[in-house]
Amino acid sequence: MDLSGAPYGSLGTLSGPSITIQELKKDRISFILTETDLSVANSLRRVMIAEVPTIAIDMVEIETNTTVLADEFIAHRLGMIPIDSTDVERIKYTRDCTCSQYCSECSVELTLHVKCTEDRTKIVTSKDLVSNNPQFQPVVEDKNDQGILIVKLRKGHELKLKCIAKKGVAKEHAKWSPVSGVAFEYDPYNKLRHTHYWIEEDAGKEWPVSGNAKLEAEPNPDAPFDYNAKPDRFYIETETVGSLKPEDVVSMGMKTLLDKLGYVQMQLKEELASHQQDQTGWSY
Amino acid sequence: MNAPERFELFVLPDGRKKVSMTPDTKLLNAATFMIEREDHTLGNMLRMQLLKDPRVLFAGYKVPHPLEHNFMVRIQTIPGCSPGVALGDAVTELIQEIGALKNKLELDVIRQRAFEEAKASQGGGLGGDEGGMDGGVGMHRVVDMDF
Ligand SMILES: [Zn+2]
Repeated sequence: MDLSGAPYGSLGTLSGPSITIQELKKDRISFILTETDLSVANSLRRVMIAEVPTIAIDMVEIETNTTVLADEFIAHRLGMIPIDSTDVERIKYTRDCTCSQYCSECSVELTLHVKCTEDRTKIVTSKDLVSNNPQFQPVVEDKNDQGILIVKLRKGHELKLKCIAKKGVAKEHAKWSPVSGVAFEYDPYNKLRHTHYWIEEDAGKEWPVSGNAKLEAEPNPDAPFDYNAKPDRFYIETETVGSLKPEDVVSMGMKTLLDKLGYVQMQLKEELASHQQDQTGWSY
Repeated sequence: MNAPERFELFVLPDGRKKVSMTPDTKLLNAATFMIEREDHTLGNMLRMQLLKDPRVLFAGYKVPHPLEHNFMVRIQTIPGCSPGVALGDAVTELIQEIGALKNKLELDVIRQRAFEEAKASQGGGLGGDEGGMDGGVGMHRVVDMDF
């Protein structure tokens, strides 16, 4: 048994991992990952939810607030407003910036000033936010979009504030997540028996198969259980909040994974060099 | 009030090592690696990749404490290989795999956008005049017209 030679990966006969887009819309993408491991597919899911950077309002300075909502309530609502983050790459994280608090390289300033002077309800929406950087505006879906409601004003009510939007990831706060949801499924027929259905009488009747089942061959009920089988088709669909294009969320997710791995690789080399564990010919 | 800072999850404190190795004191070719400021995203993926390596006799990972943002991978290899090499190769394999996926995704996006655009131009007809979110600069963003 000669296992000490070439890396095992090059022995494989697989054509390598692949991805097929099923549907690509303005705010959603659905795709199938094949020939890859469950752990890779799951890491991609995790990273899309929590580690793809976007821009979101992080600090709010309220000058006047005579509305019915408390300052912190409004600040929270502002944080959740999606901001077009197509150009996030151009903004630095504040912690990597040379400035002391925030500056134009690591933040975007948005201001809002609305006063109700008429005797009817006035709504304040995300469209009332004025950005100092045209690349980073609150998301507007189309010209019929009236914006996201922040607060309603009555005669005499006034809201005046300044927001600082920063780059961040959803690991810190969910407002930075580019997605509102990621659907993840494999083995829709449960051939691998990774799922144990809770049933009254008949699993087939009580647990209808998902739409992804159409894309797989229906299993023969008499076939013996293949205990060596591994999942290798992953159905993923993700819906964005509008701050990033769906395809960019996926590719930035992959980039995030690559960056993490690359950094670990680099630091591992350093650590191994410091241990001088070189007897086996570590030759990186 | 005394909640830990959220950024502690991913910001490596000054002077802390990202990767540190502790060789096993009793077994040859066995070591534990501590990876700082990473979680199951990397831990599980690395473990599964290591288990595919026939030179690896054992690979396991754990997140020792929920308030300490690190994970440990323990690796034992056959003679002639070392845990460090195995881990390095696993990372390289993953970089190649995800890199390949990323390239394929980007190609497929171009194909899919062209497809949706063709469908929109011949199918829709009365789709209105919106050009998506941008000012009509590029080709991206096709408006969904099959209601
Ligand atoms: Zn700055």
